[in-house]
Amino acid sequence: MESNGGTRRMKLNTDMKVNRITNEIWEIPTSEKSGMLVPARIYATPTILQSMDRGVFDQVTNVACLPGIQRYALCMPDGHWGYGFPIGGVAAFDVQDGVISPGGVGYDVNCGMRLIRTDLTLDEVQPRLERLMIELFRRVPAGVGAGGFVRLDREAFDRVMTKGARWCIEQGYGWHRDLAHIEEHGCIGGAEPSKVTDHAVGRGINQLGTLGSGNHYLEVQVVSNDRIFDPVTAAALGIIGQDQIVVMVHCGSRGFGHQVASDYLKVFEKAMRRYGIAVKDQQLACAPFRSPEGQDYFAAMNCAANTAFANRQVITHQIREAFATVFGKSAEELGMELVYDVAHNIAKVERYSEGELVVHRKGATRAFGPGSPELPQDFKKIGQPVICGGSMETGSYLLVGTDQAVRDTFGSTMHGSGRTMSRAQAKKSVRGEQLQQQMKQRGILVKAVSMSGLAEEAGFAYKNISDVVETVDLAGITKKVAELRPIGNIKG
Amino acid sequence: MILAPFRLQRSGRFLFTCFSMAFTYRYRDDVALADVAFEVLGDSLPDIFAGATQAILETLANPATVGASWERAITLSDQDLSNLLFEWLSEIVYWKDAAGVVFREAPLTVSLSSGIWTLQARLVGAPVDQQRQELRNDVKGITKHLYELKQDGNRWRATVVLDV
Repeated sequence: MESNGGTRRMKLNTDMKVNRITNEIWEIPTSEKSGMLVPARIYATPTILQSMDRGVFDQVTNVACLPGIQRYALCMPDGHWGYGFPIGGVAAFDVQDGVISPGGVGYDVNCGMRLIRTDLTLDEVQPRLERLMIELFRRVPAGVGAGGFVRLDREAFDRVMTKGARWCIEQGYGWHRDLAHIEEHGCIGGAEPSKVTDHAVGRGINQLGTLGSGNHYLEVQVVSNDRIFDPVTAAALGIIGQDQIVVMVHCGSRGFGHQVASDYLKVFEKAMRRYGIAVKDQQLACAPFRSPEGQDYFAAMNCAANTAFANRQVITHQIREAFATVFGKSAEELGMELVYDVAHNIAKVERYSEGELVVHRKGATRAFGPGSPELPQDFKKIGQPVICGGSMETGSYLLVGTDQAVRDTFGSTMHGSGRTMSRAQAKKSVRGEQLQQQMKQRGILVKAVSMSGLAEEAGFAYKNISDVVETVDLAGITKKVAELRPIGNIKG
Repeated sequence: MILAPFRLQRSGRFLFTCFSMAFTYRYRDDVALADVAFEVLGDSLPDIFAGATQAILETLANPATVGASWERAITLSDQDLSNLLFEWLSEIVYWKDAAGVVFREAPLTVSLSSGIWTLQARLVGAPVDQQRQELRNDVKGITKHLYELKQDGNRWRATVVLDV
């Protein structure tokens, strides 16, 4: 470590001392903020570090002050300001002495990514792309207040909360083998519907199978040979290149998860007084993990996490139906296997050298390496797939986790490209209709519920995802497998 | 313009109502990069509630494009005025999801009785219709980040950050 090293000639959005550990790891020592229990570490190239907003530095050091935090408060290269924790934040807390915080999970519990492969090629899809996008847009509701086609009563919704994607398979929304390709097999234990409020249920019960809006999307993508970085691993995941078509989904637990987070932020504000916990930011409200409040939130959060797995599973069913309709073959005949589904807003109990820890990942993805005993057989040799979504104009990446991530970052890595421009500024820079036309000229068909919402998601409002991916690849916490280029996008 | 508050005969309650809107609001670019933030200025308490309500309605959809086929009477109470506004805005988000609607208007009154603030509102709108309505952002919730309701001299100010 260099003393005050590495950043002397760099212009950073912080007055704190930031020490260079390697070219991709930067550390803020505990001396930089009163109350820091561990150092903060940021994964970034020098260029990305300089582009990070002040919130990243303030918030990752606030997280380093939370009771029971272990080793480091971490921020990934796609990090930017968030509520309480920065987006891209990772923090692990001792299960006995540490806390759990909704601010470390994010409002959209188990917001995550899903990737579905096909045997189709660009040449086969291009002539029917317009029809395919219309069919997908019709079958996967998106945007403000959109409800899904799955009708549930409270009893059935309780089963969704406890069974997650398993419930979907039982109902015929997917194939049994899908489950092995979902984090936690699409069903996290410990979900307890009695810990969820009626308000949360009211918001979620009609939303299964819906995309939402904001930065959520469904994207038809193409994988060309020259964008496969690790052909052996890619082939093991069913990615063969040759202009192969894949489908990516980015969404979460919708209003349900948000209500769970909001409900427990209120509970935790009161609980903190009772447990004598002080935090640097109201949105870091937390409770001891072993306290009744902490356990109640964990049980409710797991309900939301399972609902998000179910949401993406129902959407997958609809995607398969849409492809089958347009191409006149069954989804199985089209080879529409699930590559993987992974959460990037979640808290989970995992075992590390320190013992059992509650690992918070907020805008960060689990990235277990080949040696991880938790991985199913299909991934034991290659590591867990990691899916990172870029902006709708620039493309996305498939990566795999590494054993180094397990050692260095509590088995965590980046999740996307990270915003650099406000929504209002993006809307001032381009109109939705104009952007839609520009993208069409570049071969990307966009179907959007809201034109203003589309403008807000323009590619220039985000960091270059390739730079972000390069950082985690160089740092060794994830390895690049393939780049996925968009040809069709559905937005809320 | 008739200014609130006025005392209701015999009841001893103070009723604040908005007969003519005197508020302004602006969206703020400088906070919550990935979300939507707004600041409301109002001449009176009902103005600030009406202004914050209008801002969130406009964030969801253009109210002028929304019909009035759905209606819900809502009453909320809280000892703390700031909490009352927060809960009211959260209630709007709740009904958006629970009923699958967006909103045209939400006339409201705010009253104070025995130290308890009460909001009575009529939330008016229509089921989401992607063909007829100009839909905007799907607000997921009201956050506590920079959240504030305060009186500056004769004016009221509220800052609200929405998670979208």
